[in-house]
Amino acid sequence: MSLDILFNQFMSGIARGALLFLVASGLSLTFGVLRVLNFAHGSLYMLGGFLCYTIWGHLLLPLFGFYIATILSALIMAASGLVIELFVLRRLYHRGWPEQLLATYALILIITDLVKWRWGGEFLSVPRPKPFTGAVFLFDFPFPAYNLFVIGLGVALAVFLWWLVYRTHLGDIIRAAAHDREMVAALGIPIPWLFTWIFVLGAFIAGLSGAVAAPFGAVALGMDIEIIVECFAVVVIGGMGSLPGTLLGSFIVGQVYSFGIMYKPELALAFIFMVMAVVLIIRPWGIFGRPER
Amino acid sequence: MSGRKVKHVLLVAVLTGLTVAGFSGSSMAQEPIKLGAIYCFAGPCHMYSESAIKGIKIAVEEVNAAGGILGRKLELIVRDTEMKVDVGAREVKDLILREKVHFLEGPCSSGVALALQVVHSEYKVLRITTMANTEAQVVDKFTPYVVQIVPNTYMEAIAATRYLHKRYPKAKKFCTIAPDYEFGRREEAAFAEEIKRLVPDAEIVYEAWPKPGEKDFTSFITAIMAKKPDAVHSSLFGGDLVAFTKQAAPYGFFQKIPFIALYDLPVLLALGEDAPEGVMGFGRGCFFMDPNPKMMAFAEKYRQLHGTYPDSWAVQAYDGVYLLKAAIEKAKSISTEEVIKAMEGLTLDSLRGKFTIRPLDHMGTVPCYQGVIAKDPKYPFKIWKDLSRIPGEEVIRSEESVREIWKKTGVVR
Amino acid sequence: MGNASDTKEEKVLRRALILIIAVGIGLVMPHVLSPFYLMILSEALIMSIFALSFNLLFGYMGQLSFGQAAFYGLGGYAVAMLITKAHFNFWLSLLAGVLVAAIAGLIVGYFCVRLRGIYFAILTLAFGQLLFVIVYKWHDFTGGDDGIQGVFPPGILTSPKVYYYLIFLAFLGTTYLLWRIVNSPFGYVLKAMRDNPERTEFLGINISRYQLFAFVISAALSGLAGALWAPFYRSVAPFYLMWVKSGEPVMATILGGANTFLGPVVGTFVMTFVHAYVLGFTYFWPVIMGCFILLVIFFLPGGILGFALEKFSTSGRENSGYGRGRQGSSGDKKSD
Repeated sequence: MSLDILFNQFMSGIARGALLFLVASGLSLTFGVLRVLNFAHGSLYMLGGFLCYTIWGHLLLPLFGFYIATILSALIMAASGLVIELFVLRRLYHRGWPEQLLATYALILIITDLVKWRWGGEFLSVPRPKPFTGAVFLFDFPFPAYNLFVIGLGVALAVFLWWLVYRTHLGDIIRAAAHDREMVAALGIPIPWLFTWIFVLGAFIAGLSGAVAAPFGAVALGMDIEIIVECFAVVVIGGMGSLPGTLLGSFIVGQVYSFGIMYKPELALAFIFMVMAVVLIIRPWGIFGRPER
Repeated sequence: MSGRKVKHVLLVAVLTGLTVAGFSGSSMAQEPIKLGAIYCFAGPCHMYSESAIKGIKIAVEEVNAAGGILGRKLELIVRDTEMKVDVGAREVKDLILREKVHFLEGPCSSGVALALQVVHSEYKVLRITTMANTEAQVVDKFTPYVVQIVPNTYMEAIAATRYLHKRYPKAKKFCTIAPDYEFGRREEAAFAEEIKRLVPDAEIVYEAWPKPGEKDFTSFITAIMAKKPDAVHSSLFGGDLVAFTKQAAPYGFFQKIPFIALYDLPVLLALGEDAPEGVMGFGRGCFFMDPNPKMMAFAEKYRQLHGTYPDSWAVQAYDGVYLLKAAIEKAKSISTEEVIKAMEGLTLDSLRGKFTIRPLDHMGTVPCYQGVIAKDPKYPFKIWKDLSRIPGEEVIRSEESVREIWKKTGVVR
Repeated sequence: MGNASDTKEEKVLRRALILIIAVGIGLVMPHVLSPFYLMILSEALIMSIFALSFNLLFGYMGQLSFGQAAFYGLGGYAVAMLITKAHFNFWLSLLAGVLVAAIAGLIVGYFCVRLRGIYFAILTLAFGQLLFVIVYKWHDFTGGDDGIQGVFPPGILTSPKVYYYLIFLAFLGTTYLLWRIVNSPFGYVLKAMRDNPERTEFLGINISRYQLFAFVISAALSGLAGALWAPFYRSVAPFYLMWVKSGEPVMATILGGANTFLGPVVGTFVMTFVHAYVLGFTYFWPVIMGCFILLVIFFLPGGILGFALEKFSTSGRENSGYGRGRQGSSGDKKSD
């Protein structure tokens, strides 16, 4: 295996990891603060992809259309997140986590049928936006320019979230609430509104990542189920609720998959579950997670 | 709620269909002949199943408008397997026990088909399979209660291989990329067998096996390109093929490497401008693959009803209804055993030309199509040129070969 | 109906009467129902066994397992492979199915019981998926994504009516077994672990060992459900091991009420019959199911049966714990 081929697989893994980070960061954020593992996060991602297809189809703007469609899809998903949080999750905070989990599972069912009803069972294709249609040459080997865009976006999101969580007042509140919810409430911070905004942010990120993922392949039913299990893997390995953990987890899962494909493609999927199981057995809270729940 | 809306729509559709049937032709005081369409309205199969139902409905309406079969109305009942084996097995029992259907058509998923087969054979109900195409239905797990009119995995791959070889006779080094499940494995096995027969020193230097529903093909693409093959054969289809095509294009994959895959209508529609011209495709019979007068008339009717053109699924499902009609009329009865006997050796003049149901294994000598993707001013999507239609007789597995397999799997006939 | 002033004898008598009526109805069903509804009933009974086994862990032990389908599937595969490939005796195959599932439960459970709460749930999901991938990919051994067909029960059992009696018998046996378990000292320890793990540990109980034992029993019974299913539908497929399948007993249990013994059964029956009915005229079943679950979660916190029992009898719940004792653990992040 020559070096440039290995490097290419590595870069593919980075691109995949970047996309995973985009999706999983929303899940991790929601779990970190709300302590809710949102099964329906993948469904919001899928809906974001479908919306991007439809909106871009209507916009007919060749240069900026995709980007506008992406932002709009993300905003619509944020609004959906608001609706979900206000009408579904809020009623369940005082109940146990199993009900919350099951409620998000029920949302998967509802959103899937919504997508089926509106867009039919078709698989749709969103073309790559200009200027990322071609390839760049790394070490004499072509690498799709769109992959670089996704990597760049992943880095940008990571920086933004880092700034938000560690450098702003809101971030202080987020970290405090993740640590001790009751204390934060006792200090007069309205916890319900905090939860709402975090969930909305998570939904925004889900919709954004769905739209960004659309030009990669086909937008179709089943996207949600596939991505959510990989997100779980990322979040488990890296540590639930931890931002650096999600980054590391995305990187690991991306690389395991990329090199797994190269050497033993039939087992690439199994590898991820194995790593997930091993992490849960040795260090259940993940690499960067905290020991308490 | 969306469930209710669909219920209303279906109700209206059924009522309309029945009314239309009622106003046509002679008195049909007798019990209708019930056809159960059991397809998979979930995941990737949802779209194909919808097309199939549209094709069947047109056929049923035409048949009833022309007086039905043996003077009896043909009635359609649709069920969903949700692409799940257990739901499929239960729904087929529902069709047989509660709805009391006389015949079945479907499903989409090969895995579901094999499970259904055991059940409906036990109840002695005949099924015409028009979509799920694993060879196992008529060879490995043969039962007399199945008739197949979609080219099976063996036939399809052999035909595609011959086309590939004809266009690139000097190719010796090959790669394959196929979804890692039954369908993909069988097609690639047939490809390997045939290419080695045509080119004795052919070599398959790399086999890519992405999982079905794979979203990220980049690692496979780079691995294949690193091997610098003379040509690549693929049985990727649907959403997978769309994703693969989009991801491979920036690498200049299609300019560098001759490639053949299932570029049928749904894929070409989805890809639109991104459909790679000059790349080879193979398929089972959508309207542009076999533009004979019968097909084009059907395509026009379909277009007026649904605003789109019929894909291979609609075409084959339509053929299925007419095959059933022909067999029942030949047998002059709807008794399953009589109809099966009538079907054996029956030749149907279908939308895809003439084909015959081979008595040995109930496999129809249905044609396989190949072509090269190209623009066409008549349509807003790309279609094929350099069309090739390989009749089923040329690629169907020989009877000795079938019997050999039967010795291994324990089928007695 | 019932009130606190009922004597113990009256309560026992009432329960016995209900039991006799229920069993009587069950025995008569094959001669009353059409073949289609008999099939649905058979299905509901098998899935009830599945749901009951899940609830041993969930309602009584306080742990949510999202990987039960793996044991269900392994039970089915063991039976399918033994019958079709090794031409084993049917009854021995059933037993083997239960054993295989139990052994798998032992291995998986060993790792899972060290964890609590959401970590337990996700690890069960991960293991379930791992087993699914192995069965799916190992096509030489398991038939891969094709699954295995041609799994026939012997002789008269091919008749759906006769097979129904087998299923019904298994259902009664499972119910009886689980009833005895949850009302035994072992069962009380499980409930104690659910309500307050720390205190239970202080009493000197080795939580992991008890949980493992319960886990194995649960896996074995899930395996029984799968083992009964395979010959009934004549086939198995890898899908039976997927996490989506694991969700079915979870939904059924919460729907029916996890804090009642028969809640899972009620939930399963409702789900199965409504599913079969709805599929008859639309394929938009998931949205109906999803809304149904949400409505039950919001307005019937104890599930259908839990709600009904609270309404119609002040002697109340079989075991208080799920709705009440849990509230302590949901807001408090330190326990669980």
